[in-house]
Amino acid sequence: MGTPKAALEWHGSTLLRRTVGILARAADGPVVVVRAPGQDLPPLPAQAEVVDDPREGLGPVQGLAAGLAAIAGRAEVAFVGSTDMPFLHPAFVRRVLRAAQQGADVGLPVARGYPQPLAASYRTALAPVAAKLVAEERLRPAFLFEECVVERLDEATLRADPVLAALDPGLDSVVNVNEPPDYQAARARPAPEVTIQRFGPLAYGHRGPQPALAATVAEAAAAAGLALDGHVVAALNGDQITRDGETPLATGDTVFFLSADAGG
Amino acid sequence: MAAGGYFGRALAVDAGAGTADVLPLPDELLRAYIGGAGLGTWLMHRLGPPGADPLAPEAPLAFVFSPLVGTPLTTSAKFAVVAKSPLTGMLNDALSSSHFAISGKLTGHDAIVVHGACQQPSVLLVDGGGPRVIGAGQLWGLSAADAEARLREQLGRGWRIAAIGPAGERGVRYATISHDGRHAGRGGLGAVMGAKRIKAIAVRAATKVAPAHPEAVLGAARDLRARSFGPATAKYRELGTLANLLAFNAINTLPTRNFQAATFPDAPRLAAEDLAEMRRVARNSCASCTIGCEHIYSARGGKKMRVEYENVFALGPMCGVSDPDVVLAASAACDELGLDTISAGGTIAWAMECAERGLIDAPWLRFGDAGALMRALAEIGERRGLGELLAEGSRRAARRVGGGSEAFAPHVKGLEMPGYEPRTLQAMALGLAVNARGADHNRSGAYEADLSGDYDRLAGGEAQVAAAIETEDRAAVMDSLILCKFLRGVFTDPFGEWAALLSAVTGWDVDGAELRRTARRIVLAKRAFNIREGWRPEDDWLPERLLSEPVQLGSGRVAALTPRRLREMIDGYYAARGLDGQGRPDPAGLADLRLDYVVTR
Repeated sequence: MGTPKAALEWHGSTLLRRTVGILARAADGPVVVVRAPGQDLPPLPAQAEVVDDPREGLGPVQGLAAGLAAIAGRAEVAFVGSTDMPFLHPAFVRRVLRAAQQGADVGLPVARGYPQPLAASYRTALAPVAAKLVAEERLRPAFLFEECVVERLDEATLRADPVLAALDPGLDSVVNVNEPPDYQAARARPAPEVTIQRFGPLAYGHRGPQPALAATVAEAAAAAGLALDGHVVAALNGDQITRDGETPLATGDTVFFLSADAGG
Repeated sequence: MAAGGYFGRALAVDAGAGTADVLPLPDELLRAYIGGAGLGTWLMHRLGPPGADPLAPEAPLAFVFSPLVGTPLTTSAKFAVVAKSPLTGMLNDALSSSHFAISGKLTGHDAIVVHGACQQPSVLLVDGGGPRVIGAGQLWGLSAADAEARLREQLGRGWRIAAIGPAGERGVRYATISHDGRHAGRGGLGAVMGAKRIKAIAVRAATKVAPAHPEAVLGAARDLRARSFGPATAKYRELGTLANLLAFNAINTLPTRNFQAATFPDAPRLAAEDLAEMRRVARNSCASCTIGCEHIYSARGGKKMRVEYENVFALGPMCGVSDPDVVLAASAACDELGLDTISAGGTIAWAMECAERGLIDAPWLRFGDAGALMRALAEIGERRGLGELLAEGSRRAARRVGGGSEAFAPHVKGLEMPGYEPRTLQAMALGLAVNARGADHNRSGAYEADLSGDYDRLAGGEAQVAAAIETEDRAAVMDSLILCKFLRGVFTDPFGEWAALLSAVTGWDVDGAELRRTARRIVLAKRAFNIREGWRPEDDWLPERLLSEPVQLGSGRVAALTPRRLREMIDGYYAARGLDGQGRPDPAGLADLRLDYVVTR
């Protein structure tokens, strides 16, 4: 595609920035990016941590081992995703994480016809197991699954989560962009459908919730005729407050725009 | 000769004897404490007998001015009222605004301190002829506004008046002192004045005071005026602080039904966005202010009142009341009685929960019941019926009622909590816990950090500690200069810019680093006063409910503030402030306070 996948643009953001932001929204805990040794990465939010694969070209199990090791001790369970999932939804991440939080070693979605080891949840205690497999040059995720308890999450199981079913009914979360046509198709799709609402003096003439298409908070702000600055902040779904315009949005999000000058 | 902007003296009036002394205030002291809340703190150390009952005659009540008062600097016409609070038993400073500040200072004093008590209801007059006491006559029993109007009619237009309402006369522990409809609201200073049987203090300008560098002050005033029309003050100009209500509701930060919830389903009925269209009749400013944050609303029946977020929060969602006419009427009732709306609403909300749990025998008192809210306010103002208990504030009332009600009494150090939910604003949680005045949003503005987007507001840690200290320090300086906090957003280098203003007025060569040291000194001096008056480490804490009942957010996240997290933040605060593990200052810190006695460690 002429550009590393991590740096591909999608609705004003890079795929890597978007994936990191979605994971940060969905999980309480650190977000770790595993890269090839010395690989250039597009700009990341400050809270993202970067670790290097020990060796280049050994595939996903090595990355898995490095990422889980980086998080071990700080979290019992991690969602592991590739960088090229523009439609990854926080509700999907939460549902998949729940599988490993409830007893399995791995929560493995089987969606759109395939197992999805790079959109799955793993116990961080698997890090040494994965490292051992790399040392033995057994580099496919299937070898890891032979060594632990895997809960397979088929489409019906995933859609039984009402939140996920409402927000990502087609399980587009697992769609990735491996070839140029995949990327072109992804770019052709509109930004997520979100709701924006302005408060206080920002609401003059625009009271109440309004629909918008926006992939980032900055796009939502632009749709509201606002710019994030020292006096305007955004609150995602009544939760996180941000003035980082690159914060990714997903279908069903509500973005509140507030005056940052809250005294009184 | 005193520095520019100062007279270098305080007037100490013995209201009982009708005599007065002049207390010299040397430059070095003024530079160390500036004025307003800072100087008032020093005056309490110096003039307040240790351990005195706040309502005893010997307890001083200080009206403290500042070097910026009387300059053309926008929002500078403010004064601090400082005393030991009858609600908290600790240091209390409450700010108010407008012409009383200017006329009071131009009596020729940087502060007027009253001690003693009159034999009969009285009015204290201070002007160029010195202080004198006259009978209050028919003023006793009137609202502060009516008393002020009658007294101005009697004395003449040159006089400016601060008065108390019936609640202050009856010793309600959260009674206010009012001037021109604005209130020195928190901590019950109206009860202190009422205990001295002083209905009003009237001041009249008798002299002038010049800044050291008039041209520099004028230039700074022009610059600040221009900036005061910018985006940093837009919220205050356009909708006022009530603009917070709907926004806070959206982000799970609107305390509801005595902190049992953080959102109020009927919040839109009370929203500024709608009320402003339907009910707003005017917009006003304090003297010397270019912001004009006061939004005057009309209630059913035509009564007009200032509406702020805090009074609508406290008398609306906190009590489960959603009818805007009732909330406006309750707000007006507080004004007429002279009650702090936050403490009134918080105490009533606590009582509503007690009544619903069967802990107090008041079946008429229920969340959301408009009539109950109005009846409770009337009984408090008159100290009759249940009001006798509720006039004591939620801490004392909960101790009396027991039954576990202390766990949900919404106060810190006895001061009822403002409309900022600590579980979803965790830097603010720390600010509320450690502040000398108690649960207060004007002495700790740590919510700014929570709402900045730079921190996770549902987490507490080192960053939140640093943010809480920074906002507390900024408040200490702004409350001492004094500048209105609604102006704070226009400063890009606050301490540096404030130092430049102070230098231009006084002629001192102050820089931002010195003002930061001054801020820490003032914060420490408040803490030292509280320690002297019996503060204990457990007073730096939050109500149990906030530490044991998480808040469920609409996003699915759960906001929980654990005792451990709060403890860690408090420990971090103590360490960063140079306090020991029990929150007490070391001898070196105390030596910097310019006190002529030693605070017992």
